[in-house]
Amino acid sequence: MESNFLPSDYFPIVLQLLAAIGFVGLTMLATHLVGPKRKTKDKLETFECGIEQQGDARAPISIKYFLVAILFVLFDVEVIFMYPWAVNFREMGMQGLMEMFVFIGLLLAGFVYIIKKGALDWE
Amino acid sequence: MNQSVFYLLSFMTVLFALLVVFSKNPIHSALYMVLTFFTITCHYVLLNAQFLAIVNFIVYMGAIMVLILFAMMFLNLGKDTEPQKPVLLKFAAVIAAGLLLVTIFAALKKTDGGQITGIASNNIGLVKELGKTLFRDFLLPFEIISILLLSAMVGAVLLAKRDTK
Amino acid sequence: METIVQNIQTVPLNNYIILSSVLFVIGVLGVMIRRNAIIVFMSIELMLNAVNLLLAAFSAFRGDPAGQIFVFFIMAVAAAEVAVGLAIIVMIFRNTRSIDINFLNRLKG
Repeated sequence: MESNFLPSDYFPIVLQLLAAIGFVGLTMLATHLVGPKRKTKDKLETFECGIEQQGDARAPISIKYFLVAILFVLFDVEVIFMYPWAVNFREMGMQGLMEMFVFIGLLLAGFVYIIKKGALDWE
Repeated sequence: MNQSVFYLLSFMTVLFALLVVFSKNPIHSALYMVLTFFTITCHYVLLNAQFLAIVNFIVYMGAIMVLILFAMMFLNLGKDTEPQKPVLLKFAAVIAAGLLLVTIFAALKKTDGGQITGIASNNIGLVKELGKTLFRDFLLPFEIISILLLSAMVGAVLLAKRDTK
Repeated sequence: METIVQNIQTVPLNNYIILSSVLFVIGVLGVMIRRNAIIVFMSIELMLNAVNLLLAAFSAFRGDPAGQIFVFFIMAVAAAEVAVGLAIIVMIFRNTRSIDINFLNRLKG
């Protein structure tokens, strides 16, 4: 393990980010400039798997997706607290295991409630 | 190059935050919010808080903003359906916010020690160190967070579940 | 590269405090001038982030990890708040077909 990490250690990531964005930008620009343009009515239409398009993308969606998204956020935050635990798992020994069992046990109670309530049932 | 990275990032943070508040289209607001969170993540990296940067990336940009965009899609907000507040009220709001800013700055001027420089370059931002502190000094809040998340789950399911009667 | 890092690490703490204050005030402004409930919600998130940034800055300048742990807890609370708050907003929309906060004045007793 190195002793110190500095923000400059992230410089390669910045370079990679710049390279990725630059590649995307250059490719789009190049295809725009090089490619031929034939604008007919059929070509300008939004392509939707060969099916006639209907409405726009802002169509209201079912509330079931929304409930799944909410539960995803809550379990996502739970996982965040597991990273520091997993890294220190060996040093904390049995006590750390018990602490995490209490944490997970409470969240599991919530999960059981969700299943019992049928919140994730799809019909 | 003198400290310019910090000032550039700060400028972008404030700019995107202003765009969040003043965009007419709610979807644009949400997208600017994502950019604001991204600049704040960069601030965390500069502050040597690496794990915090990752968590900010995952939780705020990955989860919370997706949920907010989801809510907007669910609500199907048409173009410019938002009614505007009266101009006088907006003017008063701007003045009030400006006064708050002046108050904070005045309070800041009264303090000393704000000129501290030098971010301690050590490893406290790494996941291992944070885990040690979290499980040694903040064990009770950690367990209580699980109760909070449990109650949030129950509340969300109760609110958002369609009654099957 | 090293010199750039050195320069970044000489940014005074005051600058971080000023940045956080400005972000917080922008959040307050958003709560006051918008009528769309979701934008008001996002402004509150902005305020929470300003506080997070300030805590992280204090933590970094003092070399004390407790500040960053606080930020974790704030994030967990924010996630719970967003989950329940957005569920409430969606329910309001389903019952009234509007998310105009002025419309909610009828909640007054």
